[in-house]
Amino acid sequence: MRRRVVFRSLVVLVLVFAGLIAAAWLAFVPWPKEPSYVFIAAWGGPGSDPGRFNDPTGIALAGGELFVSDSRNARIQVFDRDGNFKRAFGIKGEGAGQLGRPMNLTVFGGELYVADYWNDRIEVFALDGTHRRTIGRKGSGPGEFNAPGGVAVAPNGDLFVADFHNQRVQQLRPDGSFVRQWGTTRERGSAAGMFNYPTDVALGPDGTLYVADGYNDRIQAFSPDGAFLDKWGGPFAINVHGPFQGWFATVTGLAVDRAGHVFVADFYNNRVQKFAPDGTFLTAFGEPGDGAGQFDHPIAVAVGDDDTVFVADYGNNRILAWRPPGG
Amino acid sequence: MKAITIALLLLGVLAAPAWAGQGSKVYELGVDGLGCPFCAYGIEKTLGKVDGVDRVDVDMKRGVVVVTIAAGADFDRDTARQAVEDAGFDLRSFAPAAEE
Repeated sequence: MRRRVVFRSLVVLVLVFAGLIAAAWLAFVPWPKEPSYVFIAAWGGPGSDPGRFNDPTGIALAGGELFVSDSRNARIQVFDRDGNFKRAFGIKGEGAGQLGRPMNLTVFGGELYVADYWNDRIEVFALDGTHRRTIGRKGSGPGEFNAPGGVAVAPNGDLFVADFHNQRVQQLRPDGSFVRQWGTTRERGSAAGMFNYPTDVALGPDGTLYVADGYNDRIQAFSPDGAFLDKWGGPFAINVHGPFQGWFATVTGLAVDRAGHVFVADFYNNRVQKFAPDGTFLTAFGEPGDGAGQFDHPIAVAVGDDDTVFVADYGNNRILAWRPPGG
Repeated sequence: MKAITIALLLLGVLAAPAWAGQGSKVYELGVDGLGCPFCAYGIEKTLGKVDGVDRVDVDMKRGVVVVTIAAGADFDRDTARQAVEDAGFDLRSFAPAAEE
């Protein structure tokens, strides 16, 4: 009799536990709503010759050209969309127009904006590589940076900068004057509107600001008037990392396409994830490795007007191109 | 005599790179939480600005930072800890790795 009670209790416990796991799975692990992307091509490899990389860390598109931060080589390399090398510019140094460790990139108004992590500033170049101007300097005050990781530019020319070590995102006028910031300077946090080493930023077509909240393993979204809108990545998006769909393991770069879809470089999960503008998980692509369609820690992503997705494959020192199925 | 002096000076200049490595010291710093290149670059940045530091190599997989110090320069645990903390991390261990 007693054995039977113990057995039944165990069965109930197991069923309850299984039910909880199933409920958690249903609640926190979304199903893909789109098919995965199709691998097209890869190019690069380790080295310092033209077309090779020593830590590709950023990527951006301008018309038919692809710009890549070749970080340890302290240069920007330019390719056509088929991966043919066209030119390179930038030299290592701390002087105006010189580069320390270029990171995430953006193109706006015929100019390339480079977040220079080591030199604590944004460098702006013409697309032919001519240096135009420098924005910001080292520090924690308004308009100053401590290791900027990424930059986005609004239609009015305002800059949005992921200020990595200052734990904030700053909005600046085109001349570098301070407008406002999200997050508390030099304070990490996982509450809404706080950051844990923000790595990159991007703007949606409606003006929504998306922030890759690096070590919080999540994306945060803010409205054009600055209000917090949403966050996603793991249960409640409170710094819970994992390999499941819609979860992250360190987010290092993001891009928004013309329809507002958000593409995220999910560094330790060796994949890129695609979301609807409201954070709904749509699909993912990539797996660990160094073969076709594989990543060794994807770090940055860019999307073309034809929906081709380009990914900086950090560990393999190469660029991968993908297209939507049927595209 | 003048030719010999010039030759000796030339020899000295050519041999300088070899001397530069003589007597340098190498330290291995254990650092927790080196998650990605953003972390690695931060550590390289702060340690690279310390007087006497010649070279910084980060092994993210092992969580180890290898620091090469110029001959005659000082480098101790407190200096390493400060630089690592400035980059936002904690120093787990500090040990001389080798002497050249």
